Formats: sequence, structure tokens, C-alpha cells
Amino acid sequence: MTKQNNQGYSLDPVTFEVLKNAYVNIVDQMAEQILRTCYSFVIWSRDFSSALCDTEGNTIMQGSGDIAAHVGTLHYTAKAVIKKFEGDIHPGDVFVVNDVYQGGTHFNDTRIFAPMFFEGELLGFAQANGHWADVGGAVPGSFNVSALDHMAEGLRITPVRVYSKGKYLSDVAELIAHNTRKPDDIIGDLQAQAEACRLAEREIQRLCQKYGVETIKTSFAEVQDYVETLTRQRISELPDGTWETTDYIDVDPAEGEGLIPINVRMTIKGDSVHYDLSGSHPRTISTFLNCCYGGAFAAIVAGTKMQSPDIPLNSGFYRVVTVELGPVGSVVNADWPTPVAGFCSGPFEKIMNSVFELWAEILPERAMACTFNLDYLLIGGRDTRHEDKPIFMWYDWMVGGWGARNGRDGWAATGPVFGVQLGTQPFEGQERLSPVLTTEHELLIDSGGPGEYRGGMGVQKGGTLYACERTVVSYCCDRERSVTWGLWGGLPSFPHGVWVNPGQEGERYLGSIFSGEPLHQGDTVTRPSAGGGGLGDPLRRSVERVLSDVTEGYVSIERALKDYGVVVRLLDPDLAEYEVDLDETLAARQRIARERPAMLEEDPEAVAARYRAGELTLLDLIRQYGVIVNWGSGELLEKTTAQFRDMLKRRTVPYWSTRIEQVDMDRPTLRVA
Amino acid sequence: MRVACDVGGTFTDVCFLNEATGTMHVAKTPTTVDPIDGVIAGIAAGGVNLADISLFAHGTTLATNALITRKFPPAIMITTEGFRDVIEIRRGTRNDLWDTYKEMAGPYIPRRDRLTIRERVDYSGKVLVEVDEAEAREVARVIAKRGVKTVAICFVNAFANPANEQRMRDILESALPDCSISLSSDIMPEIFEHERFSTTVANAVLSPVAGAYTRDLATRMEEGGYTEDVLLLHSGGGVVTAKGASKFAGRLAASGIAAGAIASRFVARLSGFEDSISLDMGGTSTDISLCNKGELSVTDDWHVEYGYPIKFPSIEVLTIGAGGGSLAWIDDAKSLRNGPQSAGSNPGPACYDRGGDQPTNCDANVLLGRLGTRLAGGAVGLDRDLAEAAIRKHVADPLGLTPEEAAIAVLKVANANMADAVRLVSIRKGHDPRDFALVAFGGAGALHGAALARDLSIPTVLVPPNPGVTSALGCLLVDITHDISQMYLHNIDEIELPDMEAAFVELEKEGFDRLSNEGVAPKDMVFERFIDMRYLGQWRAMAIQVSSPLTTLADAVASFHVDHGREHNYSRPDAPVEIYRISVRATGMTQKAEFARNEPDGAAATPVGTRMVRFDELPEAIETPIYDRDRLTAGMRVEGPAIIEQLDSTILVPPGISADVDPYLTIRMDIPPAD
Repeated sequence: MTKQNNQGYSLDPVTFEVLKNAYVNIVDQMAEQILRTCYSFVIWSRDFSSALCDTEGNTIMQGSGDIAAHVGTLHYTAKAVIKKFEGDIHPGDVFVVNDVYQGGTHFNDTRIFAPMFFEGELLGFAQANGHWADVGGAVPGSFNVSALDHMAEGLRITPVRVYSKGKYLSDVAELIAHNTRKPDDIIGDLQAQAEACRLAEREIQRLCQKYGVETIKTSFAEVQDYVETLTRQRISELPDGTWETTDYIDVDPAEGEGLIPINVRMTIKGDSVHYDLSGSHPRTISTFLNCCYGGAFAAIVAGTKMQSPDIPLNSGFYRVVTVELGPVGSVVNADWPTPVAGFCSGPFEKIMNSVFELWAEILPERAMACTFNLDYLLIGGRDTRHEDKPIFMWYDWMVGGWGARNGRDGWAATGPVFGVQLGTQPFEGQERLSPVLTTEHELLIDSGGPGEYRGGMGVQKGGTLYACERTVVSYCCDRERSVTWGLWGGLPSFPHGVWVNPGQEGERYLGSIFSGEPLHQGDTVTRPSAGGGGLGDPLRRSVERVLSDVTEGYVSIERALKDYGVVVRLLDPDLAEYEVDLDETLAARQRIARERPAMLEEDPEAVAARYRAGELTLLDLIRQYGVIVNWGSGELLEKTTAQFRDMLKRRTVPYWSTRIEQVDMDRPTLRVA
Repeated sequence: MRVACDVGGTFTDVCFLNEATGTMHVAKTPTTVDPIDGVIAGIAAGGVNLADISLFAHGTTLATNALITRKFPPAIMITTEGFRDVIEIRRGTRNDLWDTYKEMAGPYIPRRDRLTIRERVDYSGKVLVEVDEAEAREVARVIAKRGVKTVAICFVNAFANPANEQRMRDILESALPDCSISLSSDIMPEIFEHERFSTTVANAVLSPVAGAYTRDLATRMEEGGYTEDVLLLHSGGGVVTAKGASKFAGRLAASGIAAGAIASRFVARLSGFEDSISLDMGGTSTDISLCNKGELSVTDDWHVEYGYPIKFPSIEVLTIGAGGGSLAWIDDAKSLRNGPQSAGSNPGPACYDRGGDQPTNCDANVLLGRLGTRLAGGAVGLDRDLAEAAIRKHVADPLGLTPEEAAIAVLKVANANMADAVRLVSIRKGHDPRDFALVAFGGAGALHGAALARDLSIPTVLVPPNPGVTSALGCLLVDITHDISQMYLHNIDEIELPDMEAAFVELEKEGFDRLSNEGVAPKDMVFERFIDMRYLGQWRAMAIQVSSPLTTLADAVASFHVDHGREHNYSRPDAPVEIYRISVRATGMTQKAEFARNEPDGAAATPVGTRMVRFDELPEAIETPIYDRDRLTAGMRVEGPAIIEQLDSTILVPPGISADVDPYLTIRMDIPPAD
């Protein structure tokens, strides 16, 4: 098995391919095992990942169904455990780690890690990572928006042993479990994850028996070489150059209004690609939307991997894709003891969408505009439907619209870029567990960003409280101000943000990030997920597509005119029949093409006043005027508006047709070198 | 004469069982535009008169294809206001995580055809908002105006109380007498809105398709003189009558796939194996299923297209993209890959000489002499030179191998992929392949069966008499079954046995009514009870069979711990157990037929020729005897290395292995464990 052939691998092609596929099979078996036996509903909703690692902690294979935000971090936590226990790792040991300052993502993502031995020799490790529903801290679910440091977020687990030579260390496990709100579930998840790791060890042992241990060890290295070769091959076919873009987090409340820049600079040189985040906001921010190095690296890896979806993931990829995070202590390279539980809603998604934007320059055939932002909403209190008034947690996250693509509309109602497998929870299940009556779970009309190709549809979901007391609501999201953007002339979609009692007495707007707002029986809480950003000039969208969107109820007659310049009339509501007036449409499109650049120059305060007076709608402000206000009070956000208008002038305006007959146009470029 | 018919995409296979003699024969005809023409033609090709048929059973991909192509008449969904898009939002997940340009098809009923009504039931079944009659009549008016003939009624929490759905149905029925109506509380009365709605919607859109088809088929069969019920195979491995098929049309969604699994179980049982794994390898894909102690694994986590679950119990079949036509290729990092792309039937493998130049598994088999150059009795000629050229160009030269070495490599990778898939359905579920027989069929299964068995340490390979038409057999000899379930969310400690017994009796009554409606006599009815359990806090449940009447739950709980331990390698005997739902399988037994046993006559097998064949086990090709399967009779033994050829398949008997013809003319190869 060691003869050198002309591939540059020492394994023969059959053994190599068979083992590579076997490793894919093993990590997928681990995933299946976890899915069938887990206790945390977050894991059940597929927020987990698995990997095989070599003796140094480098990943050999990662699960094909892994959550995107975990990829690119499993080798860090592996190395952390190995560093701590080197020389003291034995058959039957199992370790736990969730430390964000040692490569973890946030404390909920708890990694169970077990060595794989064959006849006394350590071959590597299996790792099963899952998002535990609660890891303690100040608030249920361990998403504490107002945490000042990590102590208030949850239990930080530095590498620790929970099985020693096969013996279950119940004292250690219980110490961990009893620092969470659901100790029994945590023990259940820990065992489910440990068993998935043992499954991997048994499978590796079987392969050792069949192919010989030396072959297996060689293959561990060569499977990484394989991914490296494949990735270099792809990169080397691309032009060299440096590209740069900036996306934004909404705000650092401690610094007043104003968007927080996340800057990504990408350089392709030869057969490797390097990212530099050092132009990003240099300080951590006062909400928990910060990111340690694990989360930032994961965003780069996940975004880059999406450009070559067929390449399997392991450490070979990280030899080709490298990252400079810039100085420690920034929003993308947070230091101890900064809280980072919201990394996923904050920098992670900004980095990932920026990576998409940069690659749209290089692979325009795979271009995609911005996607809605991950959110987590928690309503917690006491459930008075039962005599003992147990604690309830209505813990909810949304699916939303993905960015429009080159030649295609965006996906509707899909999991976040954070992890497309993170599905919605069935509300019939939620209604059993919490005194919250779901009022709606429906696509949100006009939520898709307009463009020649429309962004995917966002969703609206809400609920009314009954039979409860001492109830509060917390929310972790972003992009109520840095609204999900369009590309190549496409328009932004829709702002995130929570409303209480919308359109009724007691209406309140709570925004996209807040914690512990009190609620009362009878209150209705609702929020949208944004649609995807549009791609291309909406005035160039085919009239048939606009008509079809109106017929399906994706786009209103009003917005068909304002956003697309298409004049649609209802013929028969019973039959859902509509028609387009082509003459009026041409006139409308010509008028909009003429007028729209100037609208972005109108006095923001005057525009905000018209919003407060009810003359303009929220979508008018975002899509026609580029003005961002507090959506509840209508108060103008001056600096934010200036930044948002700059963004539109960069991503959108240069691609707009000035005369509607004109179809060809020169695209500006993000290329700087 | 009993007749079973399997209508596939390309061919219609018909199996005939003579009840008097217990002998079987088969016919194969091309599938026709109106598939019923092909069915009738196939029966005629077998030389059988419709009037002489005592039982006709039918598996069809009609429903599956209708769903995939969205070719069904328009349907309307009526749902609770605020929840119009449950089936479009789905669970929001995708099966491909990384490819932003891979599309997912839309829901079976588009948004414009989803109407809403004000009504609401809460989690406990309490009606919060009743259906308003005037509003419901307005909905009925719109449906009438649109001329739609099938409606799905899907209300929130209807599993807990069907009153509002039933009220809506009553109003629709009076306004639209000829409209077919599917109620979510009827079709799949289980918690979780998307799964229940999606199943109901699939049922509603298929209802007119299945209804029209079964009516036409029954009429054509009747015109020809057939007097009994037309039976249709459903996804759960039983049959329904034409009447049941129209009401529960969603059950036909995997009719075609279930047939192969059932046939495999039957073949294995005849040869004395209650534990078997089926390997149905065709041109583009391979279907794998598992039968444990005579029971096929069944799942309710199933779909035709990802994102649109159909929760009717379905035989668990794993389909992978590895078949005779799967392409062998070298990727950018020089690894030798196999599939999932396939040469299909056009251009087909290189050796077909239809312009294909990419090597396939079929080409590798031809190059090695394992597959002859004349297939189907000479109807198809294969060109070995073209196979060699393709392998040389695309595999051998780039890897620096000889064409023969390259062909062996191609097949090893293909076999390993299939072995991994078998591991997923067996070892993954706690089964040890060493306890199973591998039933290898489909056009290509018997070429690969022995190698796969060796890789997996499976001791026995069975090749049925007609490997290419074995699936059709699966439609024969199955019973009429209905699966009826009810949510029953309770902690095990809170269960009052009399209440649960009463709930089971209700489900059995529903089963009795459905079977009676299909003309089954009470003496032929069998009812089995199941309880789905899980550890309190877990999300997935396991079905445990319980006795009737219920006397204790202790045994069921004990079985649950054992099954959990087997499937998942650990159990938590001290952890609290929760019941999730209860279900009843109502079976109407059909009359069983006997297959003829053939006694050995002591004759020896004689080859009809020889050719050079290269085996994995030997360093070079050797002169290998070729046998004609039609001349092999019960008790004969063929010593490997050998090739056995028949009209629809080729069997590879490797060196050191012998193939025995058993009394049911199944070929059995015992595979010694690898050293």
C-alpha cells in the first residue's frame, strides 16, 4: 500500500477513494446518531457538527450536514484539548470543551471529544459538537444581550475530562449539567454526543483491521492533501488580485447611532486566497455582537466553501484559505472576557455576506446578494396554565429570504447563512410548551428585495401571550439599520425588528437587539425576517415575473409600481387574475429612472418627518430615499443614513439604468489592486 | 392465475403465478404513454387471459412521477388565517447546504391556490374561533368558480380536535358535491403543522390522479373479463383497493419503490432467511432495504422531494446513485470517483456504441469479461473495444494503470460505495450484516453481489430466478393494510390503561371500517398495536408493538430500552419514558399461494461455453465456464470461477465460491469470511 503512484499520493487510487468515502460515511453516521438521540431542541433543529481529527487535531473530515458556523472551528477546539491533555489521553477517555477563547464559537456550542485508539495506539479523535439549549448564565438560553463579560453569558468549559478510561465521571458531568437550566437534558445530550464519538472509533478500528493501521494513518494525512490539492487547483484557475468591501453591524449603543464597519479584503495570488479583516471596527462593541477568532475564521471558511460546494471540508482547506484578523480586541477578534454569544447575528453573517459579494466579482455566474440576518427571540416567564406555574421558554428563530442571484430569484423562507439546516420549530409544538398563541407564520408580502432578480421572501411570525406571569422578551438580531442589501443595482429588502401590539393600543417598537423587556398577558409580539436583497436594476425585471409575483401575493400592487415601475390591475379576485398595463408601465419606468437618483439626495430630516406623518412608508424610506430612522418613533438617524446612502451609491446606484431602453451598462468594480 | 405488474419508467414487468402448479413466469414490455396499455399488453405477452386472473396487484410510479413533475389537476388548500404559507415555509431547511445555485421545487399547491379562513383551535383541542358559515360558503363559491375538484383542509391543531375541519368539509360537501376533500385530521392526525399539512396536500393533489387511473384500469380490466378487485401497492408495503387508493392517494407515493423490498423479503423467506438485505441495482441507481426477523424497516420520515414530507409509513429504502451506468471519473485532485452521474440509457455506457465515451461500471464489467458482449439473448450487443478505449482514456492512462487494473479499480470503488450504503441501513441501526442474507437483483445486482457480501462479511448471497423483474413479484402476495395513528402525548406514569385501551379500540374500529369498505371479511382482518416511545426530553420516538388487550406497559417499556440500546448503542433505564403516539396496523389478509418446490434430479450443471474473465482474486484473466441459467435445475451446483447468464441478468461466481440452485430455483452463494 505504500507504492508511490503518479498521483503524488502513496495510497493506491482505490484504497484512497474508498477510505475517503468511508470517512464521509462515518461523520454522517455520527450526525444521524446525534439527531436520533439528542435532547436539546436546538440540536434537533440541526445546530450541530461532527468531525474526525488526526493526532494533532487537524480535521480529516467534517459532516456534510454540518452547521456552517461550526466549520473552521473544530480543529481549534481539538488542538485546545490536545494541548491540555497531551501525554495523558487514554482509550475510553472523553473530554468536553466550549471555550470561545480557545477556538469555540459561543458557549452553547459544546464539543464532546474522544480519542480513537487501535491496539493501544492513538490514531486521532472524534468530535461531536452541538448547540445545548442552555448553558447557564444570567438568562434562559444563555443569550444575554446585556452581558458585560463572559461570566454573565454562561458556563465557560475549558477542556475537561468526563470519562476516564471508560469510567463515567458523574461528578464532573453533573457539575456542568447543574450549572444549566435543564440538567437532565444536558446529561442526555452529553451521552448522545459521546456515543456518536464512540461510533466513530469503532468504525475506524474496523477499517484498521481491514486495511492495516499504517494505511489508515497515511490516509488521514492524504485526505487532507487531497482537499488542499483540489482547492489549490480551483484557486489557481482564478485571476490574481485584491478586492475589498465593507458591511455593517447596526450600532454600538455605547458609541451612539452609526453603523459599525466590518471590512473584508481578499487577495487571490497563485493558488491560495488570503483574507484580511484588519480594516474592521477596532474595538469590541457593547452588545454581545462580537466575535472571537473561531467564529471569524468560520465565517471566512463557510463563505469560501460555498464558492466550491463540491469540495469536502478538512484542514487541507485551511492551508489554502488563510486569514489575518487584525489586532486583538476588535469586533472580529474579541479578547477575554468580551461577551460573544451573539457572534452569529453580528460579525459572522456580515463577514460571510461580504465574502459572497467579493466572490461575485470573480465568479459572477454564482453571484448572490445579501441574505436575511439570523435571529433568536426568547419569551420567558411562568406558565399559569399549570398549578405549579413552571418556567416556560418560547425560544424561537426564523427562516427568511436569501439574496437574489445572477439570473435567478433568491430562495424564500430558508435557514440563515449561519447554517441552512437550522430549521424553524413547529409552532404546534411550541403552543403545547408555552402559553403563547401563534398569531401568524406567513410569508411577508413585499419583503423580497426588488431587483431584476428578486430577493427571496421573508416571513412574519408572532404570538399572543395568555395564562402567564412575570414574562419578559429578549431578542438577538441585527440589520434593522444595516438593512439586507441588494447587489448590482438591486434594492435592500426589509428591516428586522420586534413590535409589540402592532397597530393596536399599546404599540411599541423594541428594535433588533434588547433584553428583558417586560410583557403582559394579552400582549402580541411579532417580527419579520428580512427577505433577500435584490440583484440587478428592478426596472429591468421582466414584466411577466412582476405579474406572477403579484398573482402569488409576493409583491403588492402598490410596490409593483414603486419598486418595479410595473402597473398592475386586479381583474378578478376570485380567480386571482391580474393584468399589466404596458403603456403605463413604460411611462412609469421612464419616470422612476429619471427621478430616483435625486431622491437619494433629499433632505433626510424632511423625509423622516413625512414618515412620522404617515405620508411615506418604511419601504419608501429604505428603497426610495435611503433614509434610516428609528422605525418606532420615526426619529432620524443622521449618521446611519449617511452611511446607508453611501452604501447604496456603491452597491446599487451605479448599476441603475438612466434611460429605460438602455440594457447594457458598465459595471464598476470593487477591485483595488 | 395471479398476476402482479410493476410499471417502471422504461419497462412494464409482469409476473404470473399459476396457483395450480405453483410455477411462475414473467413478461416484459415497454412502458407506454398511457401506462394501462402497457399493463394490458404485458399480460397478453405472458399469454394470459384477463378472464383467467384471480388476483391482480399493481405497483406503479404514477404517483411519484405526478409529484415530481407537478402534473396533476389544480388543487385548493384551505387553511387557518395567518398560516397560508406553512407548506411553502416548510421547516426552512435544504438538503444541500453549500450550493447556492441548487434549486428546490415549490410546494405542491402554489400560493394563489391557498385560501384562508378565520378559525382557531388551541393546543388542547379547545375551539377558540368557530368556522363562520358565511365565510366558509364564500370560500366554497370561489372554489366552484375556479372549477377545482380536489381540496385539502389543513387547520392549525386539528389533530387535537377535528371539529372545525369537519365543519368546513360539511359546508364544502353541500356546496360542491363532486369535489374530493382531504382533511388533515383524517389523513394524518398528528402534531406538527408542516408535516401534517404536507401529507394532506400530497394526498389531495394525488387524489384525482390516482382516482382517474384506478377507475380506468379497473374498467379496462373488467372489459377484458377480470372480475376481482384491482389492488394497488402502497408505500407501506401493503395493497389498497382502487377505492382506498383514491381516498388515500398519498399512500401510493412510493408504490414503485416498495415493490423491490417486498419481493426481496419474499425471495429470502422462500430460501429460509428471515433476515435479509436487498440490493436492487439497476442502470442509474441502487435501492437498498433491510428485513429484520421478517419485518421490513418502515419509516415515517419520508418524502418524494426534500422539504415536502409524506408521513404515511413507508418501507425504508435507501437509494444511491450507483448503477451499471454510473460514470467512473477522475476529479481535479486525481481521485478515482464513481457516480453519481450516470450515462443513463442515452448515450448509455461506451460499450453500447451510442456515442458515449465516458467509462461506466458496465464498461468495466465488459472489459473484464464478467459481462458478455451479447445481452438479453443477443438483443443488445456490447462492444468490448469501446469499453476498453473509454477506460484507457479516462482512467487507466491518467492513473498509470493497465486497462484491466483500471477496470478492477473502477468496480472496487463502486462496490465500496454500495457497501457503505448497506452499512448505513444495517450497522447504523444496530444490525450485524453477518446475520443477514444479501438478495442481489435488478439488472446489475448479481454481478456485484458476491464482492459486496465479502466486503461486508455477509455469509450468503441469493439471486432470485428472474433478477430483472423481481420487483413485480413484490406486488403479489401482499395484504391490504391501513396504518392509523393518533397523538397520545403522556408521561408513561400518567397512563390510565383503560383510557389507552379505549383509544386503541377506536383506532381498530376505524381500521375495521376501512377494511370493510374495501370488501374484506371480518375473519380475514388482523389488527396490530404499536406505541411510539421516547425518553422524556428526546425528539425522536421508536415504535414498540404491544399486545391486545392491554394489560401492562412494563413489557413495552422494557422493549423500548432494549431497542434503544440496539439502535443507538446506549439506553437510560432510569430515565423517564414518554409516549408520543399510538397506532394500529389493520390488515386484510389476502389468500396465500404456494410456490412450487422443485426436487433435485441429480443432474450436473454443464457449461454452454467459456470466455476469458478477470476476477479480483486472480492475477490475470482465465478461461471461465459460462452457464445458461435456464438450464440450471434444482440441486445443481456451479463451482466458481464461473459466469451464469440469463435473459435479464448475469451472475458472477468468484473463484472458491460455489453457486447452488435451491428448490425455488433461487441461486445461493455461500461466501466464506475474509481472512
